Amino acid sequence: MTELNMTAERVLELILAYGAETGGWPEDEREAARVFLEAEPARFAEALSEARLLDTLMMDLETPEPPASLSETILARAPKAMPQQNSLIGLLGKTLFPQGVKWPAGAALASLLMGLVGGYAYASTGIGYDQADSAYYMAFGFESDQAWLETE
Amino acid sequence: MSGLTELDQITHAARGDRAAQSALVNRNMPIIYRVAYRMLQDEAEAEDVTQETFLRAWKVLPDWQPKAKFSTWACTVALNLCRDRLRKKKPVLMGELPERVDTALRPEEALASQQAQAGIAEKIAQLPERQREALTLCALEGMTNIEAAEAMSVSVRALESLLARARRALRASLQAERVGETG
Repeated sequence: MTELNMTAERVLELILAYGAETGGWPEDEREAARVFLEAEPARFAEALSEARLLDTLMMDLETPEPPASLSETILARAPKAMPQQNSLIGLLGKTLFPQGVKWPAGAALASLLMGLVGGYAYASTGIGYDQADSAYYMAFGFESDQAWLETE
Repeated sequence: MSGLTELDQITHAARGDRAAQSALVNRNMPIIYRVAYRMLQDEAEAEDVTQETFLRAWKVLPDWQPKAKFSTWACTVALNLCRDRLRKKKPVLMGELPERVDTALRPEEALASQQAQAGIAEKIAQLPERQREALTLCALEGMTNIEAAEAMSVSVRALESLLARARRALRASLQAERVGETG
């Protein structure tokens, strides 16, 4: 509100609603109202005096303080941060499933890992290799790979 | 955390950042508690309302929309919780105080009265609920008219009317008391 729009009635309304301290008045009307107050101090003296009485009484009111433990009680129920996954499997999972491992994706990953581990364990024994070779040579009528090599 | 905006702080708090949560609580909890205490006049109930307000905050923070300041939003929640509790209580308010102004007494005389000072908290507590809310937010907690109106979900004009009626009622009550003392 500009000085032109401000009226004595509005200044009285401001005093009645917000008290005598102009700092507590609406920001957009404060300056215009101050000009009015300074121009005619006698006109607003009684209203200001009455308002100041209440302001003073309310300012002297005891301020209730929250108990010291209240912050901790509130924080105890605050959301917790997600735990960091730093293990190899955790990092692999994070790379493959950046949105988080859901059940189907988790099952697929578990199957893949089991296949890899099982396959490696099976191959490392050497048994599977010999049996497969023997079967292959026998299919062509040879007893072993040596017999096969001798024919070449 | 001092360099962060409120929105940054809220985002961090929602992700579980303890420092951001602490900052948010330390900055806003006291005003919520004071407003609740002034409305309910009971420490345990004010604590409950403050806790409940923050419980709701933890739930909404992940989807926080910066339409209002956190303190304004929290005051709205706290005021609603207070209203619910006040409704459940048996009404002990004395209703609208007379709005008549006795001009025979000088305000300075009332100011000098120790009894008037001691009784002002009680007089505020006896104001109608909405007037007490307006006075608490603006006069006691120093909120701007816009913030207080937003917290109370009323227009600025309605807030002003509540404030004016509250102050008029308090002044009339103080003067009536003074008349009782001298008469």
